[in-house]
This record gives sequence, structure tokens and C-alpha cells, in this order.
Amino acid sequence: MDFQLTDEQELLLESVDEFCERYFTDEVVEQMYAEGGMPDEIAEAYRDAGFGLMGIPEEYGGVPADKVTVGLMIERLYQKSGCMHILYQNSLSMFDIIEFGSEEQKQQCMEHYMETGWPISSLAISEPGAGSDNQSMTAVTRKQADGTYVLSGQKTWVTMGAVLPYTIVVAKDEDPSHDNRNMSLWLVKMDTPGVSTAPLHKIGQQCIPFCEVYFDDVVLTEDQRMGEPGKGFMMLMKNFEVERAYVVAEQLGLAQAALEDAARYANQRIAFGAPIAKLELIQELLCDMEIKVQNTRNMLYKTLWMLDNDIPVQLESAMLKRYGCKECFEVADMALQIYAGLGYTTEVRIGRLWADMRGNMFGGGTHEIMAYIAGRQVAKKYAQ
Amino acid sequence: MNILVACKIIPDDQDIQIAGDGSLDFSKAHQIVSEYDLNAIEFAAQLGEATGSSVKAISVGAAAADDSKVKKNILSRGVDELFLTADDAATDLDSAATAAELAKLANAADGYDLIVVGTGSADFYAKQVGVHLAAKLDVPYVSGVTKATVNGSTVSCTRVLENVVENVDVPLPCVVSILPDAALPRIAGMKDILAAGKKPMNVSAAEGVAAPAVSTVSLAAPAAVDRKCEVFEDIDSFVAAVKAAL
Repeated sequence: MDFQLTDEQELLLESVDEFCERYFTDEVVEQMYAEGGMPDEIAEAYRDAGFGLMGIPEEYGGVPADKVTVGLMIERLYQKSGCMHILYQNSLSMFDIIEFGSEEQKQQCMEHYMETGWPISSLAISEPGAGSDNQSMTAVTRKQADGTYVLSGQKTWVTMGAVLPYTIVVAKDEDPSHDNRNMSLWLVKMDTPGVSTAPLHKIGQQCIPFCEVYFDDVVLTEDQRMGEPGKGFMMLMKNFEVERAYVVAEQLGLAQAALEDAARYANQRIAFGAPIAKLELIQELLCDMEIKVQNTRNMLYKTLWMLDNDIPVQLESAMLKRYGCKECFEVADMALQIYAGLGYTTEVRIGRLWADMRGNMFGGGTHEIMAYIAGRQVAKKYAQ
Repeated sequence: MNILVACKIIPDDQDIQIAGDGSLDFSKAHQIVSEYDLNAIEFAAQLGEATGSSVKAISVGAAAADDSKVKKNILSRGVDELFLTADDAATDLDSAATAAELAKLANAADGYDLIVVGTGSADFYAKQVGVHLAAKLDVPYVSGVTKATVNGSTVSCTRVLENVVENVDVPLPCVVSILPDAALPRIAGMKDILAAGKKPMNVSAAEGVAAPAVSTVSLAAPAAVDRKCEVFEDIDSFVAAVKAAL
């Protein structure tokens, strides 16, 4: 096995370091948490550096990159910026449009991104009564006599839903009942009559605004459909596995930042006449934090390597999401423990890292659901 | 127009090991581009883009300077071609000898109109290579440049001095030394990085390197001071301790 990064990967990570050092200053990060967003200047610089174009086909202005390299970039981006911002997620809806959208939708998507630095759309999948249990969703489109469609329903946890001009909606075709498995994807403009939003107030991840989106008899036309009718959810599911890996890359980068903060603090904080890093119980915490970070990193890179080599990762991606997000959150928790009272204040960043990272234990699928996905496969794998 | 930019490849100071006696061990240090030369590269790249000129980098150093990642790093920042002398015979050259080797590369790079240098190297910061290079090539030299505009056969430079701003016109060819503020290095994107590996890299051994006129007698880190691990109960006792230490 070769764990050595290529020159290109190392240079990319150095560029990410420069980017974070230049744009995610303490003052800017503080402003982002206070105002609940991210300055346009950062989105534009991220676009200009081409980070957000990695993995998008060259014919649409993208930059060729394997998934290991994208994962490395995401991990470093969050380690060095030290806050949970929107940047890597911006690419996810673009990946979906480029993969499933019409030619016109793809052009529109890329033009908007190159012009603004922001993706054209959010993703509206979850509903109040249907998260991982997607079959229970009730948002529905019904075809009208004039050939248009009417969309009705409610979506929740829509990241940037009230900020971006479009949203990709997954909705059942014709019949909202549980047994109907036919769903389609629609690219819906947020200023269409009948679309409205309500903000969701979270205890972490304040830089990433979430909202609920209501669709009250919203009229759609056939050209707003993305991909094959009735196959919408299957299309989205296709990208869930790589998205699970990328959310772990984000969580891992933040865990690394928390670990570095805690280790630095343990070497500085004097108690009983010596730095607390000399105390065995603190050393045990630091040791376990490093183990969790290294194990997550190994699982992440292997899963991404498998994806690059077209090896199925249904089991690996679910195990990675379950293990990585939980263990990395525990790294933040242990880091907070090392800081003790100081960590519970807003004087240092560990508290907000801790609150931000807690959200990744259910965002993109709870780790209980990941156990459900992985556990069945483990049983099958070892069945006699 | 042919624009050259001189840059130095140096050990990363974060990797340098300091022994108990203060001596420095460079053996585990990765090679990097000297920090102020990144500004010079960007300055040359912007001037090249503004004038539609080619930009070539020239550099001289020990054999370790022939590092694939460092070469790609230089070429990912708006530079079209690299000319590098990498040879242990060129280890730790003084400023005059460095300039002599750079002059050979400048002549090898299909001529030059403008040569951009950084304010000084991030390792020894002698700030002399630019002026030595100009003397060696028998061309004018301008230091402290923050802005340059090419007008036909001359370049108009803005120099920022301590209390005044001076504008000067200099005939081409010439050497200009830029201040770090003159250009903020670009952040190389993946596309630039991938393209860098495909650009020409001309690496050669040194021939007839001049003996250094300046030799290093000693090089050591200042003695480390142990932390006293004193916790002050109030600000007055802290202030008194600081005063006592001064």
C-alpha cells in the first residue's frame, strides 16, 4: 500500500492552507457565526481557486479530480478554516445537476456558479415525517390537463434553501401514498408563486442557514424535471455514498483542528507546577483522540479509493459515516474536556466546533440508520 | 517581451532541527520556494498577463533544489518555463556567486527584457542578489518597486521609500527588485497545479561556479530559554516581574 501523496495532492493542500489562512481570519469567522452566513468574497475566491470545480467534468468547466483528492481537499479545508461553513456542500447540488440535469439545466448551473461563486440550487429532500424513511414522503406532483404539474408538500432541513435561487425537490409522482415508489426530481425556482420558506434555528452550524420550504400548489413545467420520471430518489441515492464520505472528511478536518487546539493548550496550561500535558490522564485523552482521528482517516481514504476504483461501498460508506462522525465528535468532546471551563466559553473555538460537529451525527443520515444499512450487509457477508 | 523572475529554493524553516548546542540540521527539511520570491513570481506573472509576455523562472541551488514538487509549485503560479541550476557545487553560494549563476541562466533563457527579483531570500535575507545580477549583466537596477508599467522600451516603476513615493523610468533591459506588498501571491488551483507538470523544466548542473567571497563562520540558533512556569495571582505582581526581567 502506498500512503504517499502525489506532488499535485501536496500542492493542492498547500493551496488550501493559503486559502484558509487568507480568508478565514478570526474576525471573519466571528462575523460568520454572528451573521449566520459566509461572505461572498470567500465563495468567489473558492471558485477562482477551482476547489469548487473539482470533480465536475471538464466539458462544463470543471477540474478533473479523483474522489481521494477531493476528500483530501475537504478534510484540509475544514482543518485549516476551523469552522463549519458551506463550501464543500456547495458542490453537492452541482454534482446532481451535472449528472441528472438536462443540457440547459447544466449550462444554467455552471453559468450561475462561475458568475457568483454560489451554486444555483439547494437540495430539498427531507420532510417533517420522512428523513431516512424516504418512502414516507408526501410531497407530490400531479399532472394537469394543460400538461403542467402542480407540486404540493413541505420540505425541511433545506441547506441554504432561502438563499439560493433554485432548489432541487424530490417528490412523488401523482400519488403521495406510502406504497408509491415513483418519485421525480424537479428544479424549482424559489420565487415561483406558492413557494415560501421559514428559517430553522439551530444550536450549532450557525454559518449554514437551514430552512423549511413550503410548496403550495406550485406550477411546474416538464422542462423543470431532472432526469428520468419516477427514478428521482434512486438517482439521488446514487450520490449518497460519496456524500457520506465527504461529510466524514469535513468532520475529520474539524476533529483534527480540535485535537491540535487541545494538544497545544495542554502544553501551555500549567497546573500543579507543570503543563497538564504531563498528566497521564490528559495524555490518555490525547492518545485516544489521535487514535480516533487516524482510524477515521484510514477508513475515509480506503472508502474513497474504493469509489475511485468502482468497488461497491454500500457497507464501507455506512460504516464510515457511523464510525467517523461519532468518533470525531468524541474527539471534539475530549478536546473540550481538556480545556475544561475555558472550553465552555466563547473565548476559544472548541465550544462551537463541538456544537457544529454534533450535527454531523445525524446530518446525512443518523448513525443508527448507518448501523441499519451496514448491519444487514455484515450479516449477509458472513452468512453460511 | 521576455520576463524573467529569479527565485530561491530553500529548506522549509519549520523542518529545520535545532540541536542542543544550537547547531542546525537541514537534512530532514523539505525544499520550498523562498517566501518573498512568491511575491516576485506573482508580480512577474501579472506583468506577463498585462503585456502578453512569456514569464520564465530562473533559480540556482544545491542538488536538493531539483525537487519535483517545488518545480511544479513555481510553474503553477503563472510561470511558463523554468531554468534551474541544481548542483551541490552551488550549495550556499554567496550573493555575487548566485548572481553569476543566475546571469548564465538569464542568457540561456532566450534573452530577457525585464528581470524581477524579490526583496531578499527568506533564509539569509542578504538583499544583494538583484543588484549583483544587474551589475553582472550590465543593466540598470531599481529597488523597492511596488508597481511597474511597461511603455515600449522603458519600464515605469513606483518605489515606496520611508517617507516618499518615487516614480522612475528605466530603459529595458533591467532588473527590478520588488517589495513584498507589490503583489499578493495567487492561490494555485488544481487546474494550475495539473498544468504545471506539463510545462518545460530545464535543469542543469553547475559549471565553473565562482568561489564564494563570503564564507560562513558559524550558524546557530539562539539559546532556548526554559519556561519558568510561574503563575501570578494579580496584575501588579505580573507587572513587577516583567519590569524586573527587563
